[in-house]
Amino acid sequence: MPDLPIPRIVPLGDSALLVRFSDRIGDEATSAVVAFARTAEDARLPGVTEIVPNLVSVLLLYDPTRITFTGLSAELRLAISRRRDDAGETRSYSIAIRFGGADGPDLDAVAEALGMDSHTFIARHNGAPLRILATGFAPGFVYCGLHAEDMRLPRRNAVRDRVPPGSVLFAAGQTAITSTPIPTGWHVIGRTDFSNFDPAGTPPTLLRAGDSVIFEAMA
Amino acid sequence: MSTLTILRAGPLVTVQDLGRPGQLIHGISASGALDRSAYRLAGALAGKAAGAALEFTSAGLGLRYSGTDCTAGFAGGQFGLTLNGEPRQWPLALNLTDGDVIDITTGPWGNYGYIRFEKQIDCAPVMGSRSTNAVVGLGGYEGRALRAGDELALVPLDGSSVPETIHTVSGQHQLSDPIRVTWSVHADLFPETARSSFISTQFQITARMDRMGVRLKDAAGVFTDANILSLVSDSIVPGDIQILGDGTPIVLLRDHQPTGGYPRIATVISADLDRFAQIRSGRMVRFQPVTVEAAQAALKGTL
Repeated sequence: MPDLPIPRIVPLGDSALLVRFSDRIGDEATSAVVAFARTAEDARLPGVTEIVPNLVSVLLLYDPTRITFTGLSAELRLAISRRRDDAGETRSYSIAIRFGGADGPDLDAVAEALGMDSHTFIARHNGAPLRILATGFAPGFVYCGLHAEDMRLPRRNAVRDRVPPGSVLFAAGQTAITSTPIPTGWHVIGRTDFSNFDPAGTPPTLLRAGDSVIFEAMA
Repeated sequence: MSTLTILRAGPLVTVQDLGRPGQLIHGISASGALDRSAYRLAGALAGKAAGAALEFTSAGLGLRYSGTDCTAGFAGGQFGLTLNGEPRQWPLALNLTDGDVIDITTGPWGNYGYIRFEKQIDCAPVMGSRSTNAVVGLGGYEGRALRAGDELALVPLDGSSVPETIHTVSGQHQLSDPIRVTWSVHADLFPETARSSFISTQFQITARMDRMGVRLKDAAGVFTDANILSLVSDSIVPGDIQILGDGTPIVLLRDHQPTGGYPRIATVISADLDRFAQIRSGRMVRFQPVTVEAAQAALKGTL
């Protein structure tokens, strides 16, 4: 078993802390995040009210009237030393995307910037399953990754004020799916009818960090 | 059943309670009253128990009450209030009767005021809360701010409401005290000179404020050359002070995005967040770093 990365425990205000595995997105950090989030859930840590996996860190909200930062840090170091190295139970999803055209106005520019035609880009994009890295930024907004090194582009310089729910976004080695209207600086490459967010649902979102997703092109 | 008719609404009149914690994993921040101590005081004034609040901004609110007699509590900052044209002292409790007209106007200080009734505002809880997050269109009254002509039903409390106990409410005399902060996740990425200027400089509260956050004017240019780029998005908590690419500091409030990629230098401590939210645009604010332990002790002192 390879050595797991040793995280830093960083206070975030007086009622939260981050267990940070890296400053950069990478497969090792994202795997460690998902595995540790599940470990922390199982550990029933005293005073902890919320555990949220991020791209490179796990957020823990806690009640400072029940446990101090120092006390919780000690509990976490123990949990880190005993952590599992897998994501536990995960599910697999297939999500259909309409690429390009009005649904994905940046598709051709993205393919060109990566030195390929749009058909090749779509084939590469959908070629291997991605993992749900985290939910964040907006309700039901999921980050999926990571794409291969030669499939990575930075964000656009300009921000679009509003993209519709179901927009399929591409940047920084990831594909993201929106569930609500948001502003974004990511490339918009397509659109899906899949909705990850239902305010009346229990839970209100379907995809969980660690789940696997494969994208399919719709005609 | 009783009804509230909104006769006049300033910007950002919303239904709020203490919010919906526990939903960050779904990408949803907790929202809730921006000044919790004032929210609680309004509840204590309303009587043994109270429902969700109408949160309003310094432009105020006019409303008409229809129905059987009902106690209401009004608190937060200091507003002008008339009942059927007669001025009353703020904060206050009123026994409302059918046809009463309440007009709330701007007063000497404060950005946010609260009305709570000994009844519940009849909008369905979303993920356990009636709080409005108008940024994403969730909760409250149709997920949006109220406007003139809206009618809200008031229904009996369901028994889950408990009496409010009040220890401290941010007062006018405290508004110029420093706002205490803990250093945040990216503090070490800022040059030492920027960190020391951050605590020795006064920043001006600007009019660009809403439930997501408050923009500060950095007249001294503390962060003009900070230029920290390419951070991985990470969790945000209310009170985080993020620095935009152009050097503008923003103090994030309860409708914050759950994650963000701008560098964050410090976080306003929980005990000072209500007070910060009430500081009006144009005023100067100074930040004072404290330890996490001191922040937690201060929070316990307010509970």
